Amino acid sequence: MNPTATPAPSPLLAVEALSRRFGGLVAVDGVSLTVHQGEIFGLLGPNGAGKTTLFNLISGITRPSSGSVHWKGVAITGAPSHRVAALGMARTFQNLRLFSSLSCLDNVRVGLHRHSRQPKLQALLGSRTFQQREENLRRQALDLLDSVGIVELAERSSASLSYGQRRRLEIARALAGRPELLLLDEPAAGMNTTEKGELTELIRSIRREHQLTVLIIEHHVPLMMELCDRLAVLNFGRRIALGTPRQVRHDPAVIEAYLGSASQSVAGAAAADTPGSGPVDQEAGGEGRS
Amino acid sequence: MDTLLQILINGISTGAVYGLFALGYTLVFSVLGVINFAHGAVFTLGAYLTYLLVGGAVGSNGLLAGLQLPFALPFWAALPVAGLLTALVSLLVEATAFRPLRRHGAEPLLYLITSLGAGVILVNLLQILLGAEGYAMPTTALGSLPITLSLAGAQLRTVQLVLLVVAAVVLAVLSLWLEGSRGGKALQAVSEDATTARLLGIDSDAMIRLGFAVSGFLAGIAGGLVGLSLSITGPYFGISYGLKALGVLVLGGLGSVPGAVLAGLIVGGAEALVPGEWSGYKDAIAYAFLFAVLLLRPQGLLGRPQISKV
Amino acid sequence: MDATLLVQMLLGALLGLSVYLPLACGQLSLATPGFYAIGGTLAALLSTRVPALSGAAMAGEGGGGGVPIYPLSSLLLEMVLAALLCAVVAEGLGRLVLRLQGIYLTIATIALVEILRVVSLNLEITGGAVGIFAIPQPFAAPTGYALFCLALLVLVGWLCQRLAVTRPGLAMAAIRDDAIAAASSGIAIERWKRLAFVLSAVVAGVSGVVAAHFLNAWNPRLGNFDASITTLAFVVFGGSRTWLGPVVGGLALTALPELLRPVGDLRLIVFGLVILLGPSLFPQGLITPELLTSLASRLPRPLQRRLGMDRGASRNRRTPASDPPLAAPSSPGQAPAEVER
Repeated sequence: MNPTATPAPSPLLAVEALSRRFGGLVAVDGVSLTVHQGEIFGLLGPNGAGKTTLFNLISGITRPSSGSVHWKGVAITGAPSHRVAALGMARTFQNLRLFSSLSCLDNVRVGLHRHSRQPKLQALLGSRTFQQREENLRRQALDLLDSVGIVELAERSSASLSYGQRRRLEIARALAGRPELLLLDEPAAGMNTTEKGELTELIRSIRREHQLTVLIIEHHVPLMMELCDRLAVLNFGRRIALGTPRQVRHDPAVIEAYLGSASQSVAGAAAADTPGSGPVDQEAGGEGRS
Repeated sequence: MDTLLQILINGISTGAVYGLFALGYTLVFSVLGVINFAHGAVFTLGAYLTYLLVGGAVGSNGLLAGLQLPFALPFWAALPVAGLLTALVSLLVEATAFRPLRRHGAEPLLYLITSLGAGVILVNLLQILLGAEGYAMPTTALGSLPITLSLAGAQLRTVQLVLLVVAAVVLAVLSLWLEGSRGGKALQAVSEDATTARLLGIDSDAMIRLGFAVSGFLAGIAGGLVGLSLSITGPYFGISYGLKALGVLVLGGLGSVPGAVLAGLIVGGAEALVPGEWSGYKDAIAYAFLFAVLLLRPQGLLGRPQISKV
Repeated sequence: MDATLLVQMLLGALLGLSVYLPLACGQLSLATPGFYAIGGTLAALLSTRVPALSGAAMAGEGGGGGVPIYPLSSLLLEMVLAALLCAVVAEGLGRLVLRLQGIYLTIATIALVEILRVVSLNLEITGGAVGIFAIPQPFAAPTGYALFCLALLVLVGWLCQRLAVTRPGLAMAAIRDDAIAAASSGIAIERWKRLAFVLSAVVAGVSGVVAAHFLNAWNPRLGNFDASITTLAFVVFGGSRTWLGPVVGGLALTALPELLRPVGDLRLIVFGLVILLGPSLFPQGLITPELLTSLASRLPRPLQRRLGMDRGASRNRRTPASDPPLAAPSSPGQAPAEVER
């Protein structure tokens, strides 16, 4: 994996034969995938398929047993999560990890951490420039809360929010790091249909506004088929399919292994799905299944 | 020549006590993921209770000055009785220092603080009730056994052999129980994964209480044994053992049962090898091992690397 | 109030702050008495064994009845040296254990306190169990110590306040709430924990220097395990969410046993009860952030601003409806300027 050897522009994120074992259990088993600038890439799979573990491996929370992760062609395998964040990746968590003693605004200000450095002496003395910059940061945090639609809750404690509001707050916190790649771990979990629809819109608008690439884990198949440019399907830690929603939907391995009896509902979702028109569709087809 | 065997027996018997002690920490650590800092105080209590049960009298300093039980049990009977009583006290520690916080879902940090509090209260109550002076077990405690035995030409103190045998039996029974019985297996299941264990119908609250009770029993037995072999130097003597056993615990690997025993033997052996003129530094050996293991192998000799759950 | 008690109370408040700093990012360090002892022993050794430190003063100030006054500059020098030594030890220990789970710091700090105790008991130079006597006095009366400690406390408190209202304070609160989420937000958690631990060590070490002179004698018992419990009780009682909590806790719990002499032997039991029951009955302690906000809102606005406590007020003023710069969710062109790159 010598980055200088490839003349073509490197993908934003390249995962190569990544594995993670816990004792005797292989949670992630030789998974490879690449995520390109600007796409919404989905990870589908039943519970325990290793999707969250894969996120943890990419975002530096868990160290891989073997394999590699490259960011813009540079190896970042096993880098600690604060360094991964500094490179331009931000994530949300399946089981929501908010700072419960802090207000919503302060949760987002924590997300601004790596952009909020100020000269130490000025910070210590609370100089006028320091105060102005702090005010500016606060404004940015409020704007972010606004862009996920919960600005009116800025002063509330994050512990007092409803489930859907917490999900939104977590996304705002992740956006505050100004990431290039946003990793969303089941953002629609526990949401009703209306909320899911709003969330889909939110993710799309976020991608537009912030020129983001999105890697998303979600159980809800119709939502994924509608939202994603490309999908990978995991089962028992292995990648069993990769491609556009249309390719994945018709993939026999997916119907067989994952969707099984639920294949009808997938077909139903397909009918409602608009044909994929993302900019990455054509090249995605070339990658196909390994 | 006889000194070598003497040193060996010394080292193994001290090590066995550290092992018992560290095991008590391990049992609680494996069900709750936190250290019970009141453990050293429970150990001290075990020593005092054994002393009283074998017919020892309270000195003149405490509130209970002059107290003596109307009966005197032989050591072999007093030890398990003391162990049962300390198991009850350990349950009390769980009910006051751990359970209320668990109900709130409080941060694990707070358990450390509250258990330190429980330990301090226990030690200071002992000091108020029984005074600060040291106690030695009555020489009649071991009945008709001779004070020394000769083995392969060396003179050995009988108490040390008793200590060794009892510790070995307790450790063997404990491992059999953990591996073989329903309760032991359930305890291990909870320590592996509390949520899944609950789904399988194991009452994790009951298991936590079981962990505390067994850990308290072990501490009481260890206290009684040390009290017999070295005398009780005051209400604080368990704290120093307890702190050293923390070093043993980290050396063996947090949560590892065989690790705790192995590390106990290593530290006990190393302490026994310290030459007389350096004996003042003996108490620091466990900590030297602690820092060495943190530097070289933070998960401990037999511990597993930590898995973070997200 | 008697100045001697006041000095003890102020030292208690300083030690409370030393325990508070690591706790603010979720780390329990029991090493405060150890660093206090490092400072105390260092001061005792330097001031009694190094004639150069006290010699210069004899000529100039030794007038008052033959009691030589120890120069303030030497005291300050001792404080700087103690701060450096404690910082180095804390940095080393921090690098070793702060990459591991929190429990390792607690165990390692216990070990540090014990090793220091064992070493100072056995070394000839520290006077063994007896300790070091006749430490020279930089102040003629307890009032001098009280003013000096007060100045020190104000300095450390001001530093804590600045930390709390700036980036480090937010980072530490985030680490305490959820270390994994904090790391994923780009916070180098190990670095901040180490910073807090080093500051904690420095505060304790510097307090130890002053205490050694004030007490006139130093022995290894002053940094034992009981002292860890006592200092911890300060923080649990006062509350660990704001720096004022440990200060109030340190002041109050130091004064309490002295004022209630009859408790005598029960002192440690009272402290034990505080830390056993406090966290479940009063999880926030005496001084909570809400209490401070409501108190601060009664102060005049300029003073609030100087204290860095005006945030709540200014946030409330800016309701979303009245704030033009906020972008409507559907207008991508209005994204905050700094977000586009």
